[in-house]
Amino acid sequence: MSDVVETFHQDAEDAVRIVSGLLRRGEGGEAFRERRRSLSWTATEAGLLAPAFAEERGTAVRLRRGRESLLVARDGDGPDALREAVREASRRGGGSPFLKARGLGRARAETEGPRDDEEARAAQLGAALHRALPDPRGISLTLRVARVTISRAVVTAKELVTCGTVRRLEASGLLRRAHTARPFAFQTSAPWAPALDAFARALADAARPVPPHRAAEGPVDVVFSPGAASVFWHEAVGHPLEAGGGERGSVLTRVPRAAVAPTGVFVTADPTRGDLPGHYLADDEGTPARPVALLTDGCVDGQVTDRRAAGGASNGHARCGDFRRPPRPRLSNLVVSPGRASREELLEACGNGLYVREISAGHADPESGRFTLFVESADLVRRGALGAPLGPFVLTSDVLTALRHLHAESGDVTHPASGLGLCVKGGEAVAVGGASPAILIRGLTAVRGRA
Amino acid sequence: MSAGKDDLLERLLEGARCDAAAGESAEAYERRGTSIEIVEDAEGSRLSLVTERGFALRLFRSGRTAFAASPPEAVDGLPDAARLLLGRSRTRRGVRAAGPVEGGGAYALAPPPALDEKSARALLASFRSDLLAAGEGAVSLTEAILTTGARTERVATTAGRDVAFGSETATLVATVTGRTGAGSVSARLLASSARPSELPLARLALHAVDRVLLPLRGRPLAPARGDLLLDPNVAAPVVGRLASAFFGDDGDALLASRTRDGRDAFAAPLFSLVDDAAIPGGPVKATHDGEGTPHARNVLVSRGTAVGRLSDTAAAVRLEQPPTGNAVRRAYTEPPAIGITNLFVDPSAGVPPLDLLRALARGFYAAVLLSRPEVDLAGDRFRLHAAGYWIEKGRAREAVSETLVEGRLSEFLRSISAVGDDLRFVPSGTGSAGAPTLFVPKWKGA
Repeated sequence: MSDVVETFHQDAEDAVRIVSGLLRRGEGGEAFRERRRSLSWTATEAGLLAPAFAEERGTAVRLRRGRESLLVARDGDGPDALREAVREASRRGGGSPFLKARGLGRARAETEGPRDDEEARAAQLGAALHRALPDPRGISLTLRVARVTISRAVVTAKELVTCGTVRRLEASGLLRRAHTARPFAFQTSAPWAPALDAFARALADAARPVPPHRAAEGPVDVVFSPGAASVFWHEAVGHPLEAGGGERGSVLTRVPRAAVAPTGVFVTADPTRGDLPGHYLADDEGTPARPVALLTDGCVDGQVTDRRAAGGASNGHARCGDFRRPPRPRLSNLVVSPGRASREELLEACGNGLYVREISAGHADPESGRFTLFVESADLVRRGALGAPLGPFVLTSDVLTALRHLHAESGDVTHPASGLGLCVKGGEAVAVGGASPAILIRGLTAVRGRA
Repeated sequence: MSAGKDDLLERLLEGARCDAAAGESAEAYERRGTSIEIVEDAEGSRLSLVTERGFALRLFRSGRTAFAASPPEAVDGLPDAARLLLGRSRTRRGVRAAGPVEGGGAYALAPPPALDEKSARALLASFRSDLLAAGEGAVSLTEAILTTGARTERVATTAGRDVAFGSETATLVATVTGRTGAGSVSARLLASSARPSELPLARLALHAVDRVLLPLRGRPLAPARGDLLLDPNVAAPVVGRLASAFFGDDGDALLASRTRDGRDAFAAPLFSLVDDAAIPGGPVKATHDGEGTPHARNVLVSRGTAVGRLSDTAAAVRLEQPPTGNAVRRAYTEPPAIGITNLFVDPSAGVPPLDLLRALARGFYAAVLLSRPEVDLAGDRFRLHAAGYWIEKGRAREAVSETLVEGRLSEFLRSISAVGDDLRFVPSGTGSAGAPTLFVPKWKGA
């Protein structure tokens, strides 16, 4: 699929001329090209059913003038699609674009269907399912498992910028045992073989019987595993520091440079981390990716922006779910600096509480600062040692209180999060990642149940 | 979009080169769509215009199926892609291309109708005005997204089906913030309809105000025994979560366990559950499903007893009944799957909701949901995180900022003793779910 990016470049000179001819004085804008290819299977306890191949190609032309912006999108990612989108954008925007083609003028009609090596991949996926569920009796499984490849490029008035090609393995659906059902969601951008191993492990974990014990409701001290901590940082710090949060901003943007967490806490939005799912070379407006410090030494330091929110000085976090939607400031990978404590030391510091292994989902209200984490897997902590495993429950608190009650010392190892994959905001999903050490937060509120 | 007529769909079907003698068949699908989206927020206004055309092909052979989809420029590669995958598919009974339907014939697919940006902007202004008036200065609109779309679809099979149809949708997503001396709360609300002019703007504004102000103005209520009155805004999402129990033959085991193989009722005798794409007021208005099967009114629960299933062509074969027209294509890039159109609790036995309120001796009126309802069909549990009012002798005594309503789902459904006549719909899954006000006396968890 990397040849798709080369294909995007075939008419680069023409495309840049067309886009620069579209823009008038005082206007910003760009064109966006996307090709998305997926090969999916319906995975059941009996094996893989109903293979499906799908390809989408799209072009969007975007114009910004003052507080107004326009997006014109259409199917196709070749020169013809670009011209038609520019023509429509120009008609709406009142300009007269220069559309004469030089050199390559025809749409590319090449087709890349599933390849023969997909047979081997399907067999490997089937084997991974078997490893995860060696004895599927009593289990009913309905998962959509997809191998997705997305290539993107942005045509600005000066150049064609490659956003990159991302490949990921996605799985989502429902696992049922007698009298219980649990949602399952998994995503990784790791290479194929390790991705399948991780998928098999996650599915095997999810298929275990739900422990009968429930967390007691009320205030509780919680040690988060590195993977679970990544979800906490994403919801509690990441979302409130996405620009464009309304007139009053968020609970964190209202206190710039304030010390909200213990010293020694550094949180960075880093799309340059190639080992995490939120990696890209340039964002969806063509701004080169770069790390952005969100918390520095416990103080609110910055926020992720796009061109609209930052008045042109974007820091490379404009992201869109697909070519049909305008980009917005969104998170990429959230990376948290490690501390010096071992897991045992954190459990010891916790005393009596909970050890959260896996969080399946979460959400935050940036305005009020309330956040909710849906815990899928956890253990009791009694006198600093792990106790009985617990069934699903919910943790909730508000951002400022949780950060204030963050234990000063965090884990000594930073692990990429396996449970953090797709972030859905306003119905738009973008790939995100996280890497965090284990952390201890006191005084969160546990509530029974699972959404 | 490539306007005008061409023969891409015919080429696609011919390119499938089906060997009927070997039990092969094929289904070709085309979708053309346009949409306008207007976003208004603190940073200004965004207008998005999307025009799209896509194709899909399904190949069938001896119970196996494979699917491939692409935009027009890559359509010639779809038959090979599907054929390559077909050999690796597993068999499932009933999988085959659908035959002719009544009224079907060869159609050229017309482009969808043009959309009206000016009217869309007027609707947004109207909603903003409704919200500000209802919020009395304590509620503001952080972001509003209005999307209106129209599409035309065509399904043709080697078994003789060739049908074209069109539909429209309108969706309003509003992010609303309430601020009082007690703090601030924001929430995202959603309404949909078949046409922009049918969007329930005034109702959404009132709901939005309750959603963000009740948590600030009320007091938490500990779960206690009492009567329970669920507003349609609360009941409808719960109804939507029941849908999967009625999807083809997949929900058989679930329904059997919930009703002890039919010996118990699914719900109270006045509870009837219906799926109907033509119900007046329903947000989904369509004539055919994603396989080109005409929609019908399907009664799933009649007077408390589970009597029907929703099906696509394959599930209908397994269930040995005609397909109900519930094969839903969310996008041209996804194969059709069983889904709902307008799934609702029949309000024909309903009474005015004010009568239900007056009948409430002592209990909780759940006006808004504060989070997605938890409905576990397999575990027979449900849990609602709601805000509303504490009612005594038919009068609101106190605003409730939050409480939990939970318990056994089957017990809840069988305990409904009255329904209102105020059927309302909310977006749910692939379609919409609707319910009138529901009354449950002496619920132990409220």
